[in-house]
Amino acid sequence: MELLIANLAHGFGVALSFENLLFALLGCVIGTAIGVLPGIGPVATISLLLPITFGMSATTAIIMLAGIFYGAQYGGSTTAILLNLPGEVSSVVTTLEGYKMARRGRAGAALATAAIGSFFAGTVSTIIVAASGPLLTQVALSFGPADYFSLMLLGLIISAVLAQGSVVKAIGMVVLGVALGLVGTDVQTGQQRFTFGIPELSDGIGFVPVAMGMFGIAEIILNLERPESRSILSAKVGSLFLTKEEWKRATPSVLRGTALGSLLGILPGGGASLAAFGSYMMERKISKYRHEFGTGAIEGVAGPEAANNAAAQTSFIPLLTLGIPANAVMALMVGALIIQGIQPGPRMVEAQPDLFWGLIASMWVGNLMLLVINLPMIGVWVKLLEVPYKYLYPSILIFCSIGVYSLNNNVFDIYMTLFFGVFGYLCSKLRLEAAPMLIGFVLGPMMEEHLRRAMLLSRGDPYVFIDYQNRPISTVLLAISAVALLSMMLPGIRKGKDKAMAG
Amino acid sequence: MKLNTKNLISGGLLVLIAVVGLWLNQDHNLGTARRMGPGYMPMLTFWLLAGLGALVVVGALFNGPDPLDDWTKLEILAVPFALVAGFVVFFIARSVGFVGWYPLGFGLLGACLAISVAPGWRPIGLVHAGMAVFGLMLDQFGLMISIVCAVVVATLAEPTHRPKGVLGLVIFLCVLCWWVFIRELDIRVPVWPVFLTQ
Repeated sequence: MELLIANLAHGFGVALSFENLLFALLGCVIGTAIGVLPGIGPVATISLLLPITFGMSATTAIIMLAGIFYGAQYGGSTTAILLNLPGEVSSVVTTLEGYKMARRGRAGAALATAAIGSFFAGTVSTIIVAASGPLLTQVALSFGPADYFSLMLLGLIISAVLAQGSVVKAIGMVVLGVALGLVGTDVQTGQQRFTFGIPELSDGIGFVPVAMGMFGIAEIILNLERPESRSILSAKVGSLFLTKEEWKRATPSVLRGTALGSLLGILPGGGASLAAFGSYMMERKISKYRHEFGTGAIEGVAGPEAANNAAAQTSFIPLLTLGIPANAVMALMVGALIIQGIQPGPRMVEAQPDLFWGLIASMWVGNLMLLVINLPMIGVWVKLLEVPYKYLYPSILIFCSIGVYSLNNNVFDIYMTLFFGVFGYLCSKLRLEAAPMLIGFVLGPMMEEHLRRAMLLSRGDPYVFIDYQNRPISTVLLAISAVALLSMMLPGIRKGKDKAMAG
Repeated sequence: MKLNTKNLISGGLLVLIAVVGLWLNQDHNLGTARRMGPGYMPMLTFWLLAGLGALVVVGALFNGPDPLDDWTKLEILAVPFALVAGFVVFFIARSVGFVGWYPLGFGLLGACLAISVAPGWRPIGLVHAGMAVFGLMLDQFGLMISIVCAVVVATLAEPTHRPKGVLGLVIFLCVLCWWVFIRELDIRVPVWPVFLTQ
């Protein structure tokens, strides 16, 4: 316990440096802004800013990028409540009760509940991340290559299983992502694979063009195809203070939301949206005031908002302790770490204590900053929304192009992003999920390395993965993967997931 | 039989990619399970992809109607038109003497502009054309000019844009990008046309 406190103290020392504070603030502000603005999300933004993180220290870079991620969760609720416009997928649920509260004149209370609930959830989940780090690292240090492979496989399967729509197609996208990750130089033999002799591809397809193209550019096109609908600002924001009754009602929902969100965030493929939906369903079933759902029940704002923020924080756990990305944003974080020369994995906690504890401390500082940014500055964010999308999208396009060019000073990267923009649009029209592909793309090369090593050690014997006596971890992980896959085949469970995803 | 068009095409696409991948993988040494060659993992991956794609296609025969949006005749014709135009421009650019990535950029620009002939394809065509323009102009004409041209092309995708608005946007972006990318981040890119500063 004292060790935890000592480590946290060290972390705060790192997080409160001027540079890290500045970039945490920058990340939170950018995150809130993109959370407020529909049509651009954390994945596109983080991939846009990745090239810029080259010049920073690793800790500062991750602090800023993390701020963007959980900041977006805060920002998304503002528009959800005021304009019935979810800025982020995880804010869709907040529109249900939050907008109704705004129409009753309680917009301020809804906004305050969302912000304070999110802050509480952020605090609790930060402690969970801090505690779990060293614990999980111990477990993971006993992992052999076969166990790593099975763990990554589990991560891929769960992210496919929890994706929207058809599971088979999602797994197909995961495999496609793995295939794309194979392009480049084979590390072990030095041979060029699928590069067509193009020198720019000898290091593989850059994941910034892939992420930006599929999540940023494709999103622009889809937004342009939908006619812009202007929602009228429902009512003045009004007082931000909650009545005593509202406090009483919101508190249990916040607690439940925090617990659920913390749990679901760790699950690969889960994340903030799943947590928000799950919390809403739970509140609808459990809350004493469930008859008020549909007319502006505060539980429907408090629970989901706490849940999505808790999940956003705890989704860092698999990344920081095991090196496995839990969702598309974490996949980008893996990329950011690799760019900085850091190998994500269980050894990272030991090897990079500044990064791990500094990030955790900064997460709490960031949540505090967001509380301040969101409530008093609501007016600013609402003004930001009044910018018509037709001015936003060329800006996004230019930032994407410059950003991707600055990676290698090569226009080839711009053309790659173009290609993946078209491909992303195509996938979206065909209902092929992009996030599983990105996760497969990032994990594929690592999985190949572990598979090779496992096979080398076992002299080509595939039984090593399910050798229960010597390798219990791998067997258990593969068993969980199988259960997850099979359970999705059962129509009952699948319908439940589809209902939750459809909101 | 309830045909699911979207899944049919999705599965077909996955199978196609898998087949191409396996074909490209022919030259790579497979090695053994114990000592995997460079072709081993691709082989596993593409066979798995082919299997999944086939599953999706089979399922698509029964999954119930999920048709693509209706395409107008012009939109259907625009696709092969764009592909042909892209290749033609690519080869012309090569034969005229452009080296490096210019032929690819011109080809992509040609394809994007060609597909924008159909109004339904304008968003995707013109936004990407703007990107292609940016890529083509950046090295020789510098950042500022490239921003101007790219934004002008991209704003054509949104019919409600007015010239004054576009002008304002261009000026705003030039100033903002200069401040963020040149002054603050100091990225290595020519700001003004290369032939002017020499």
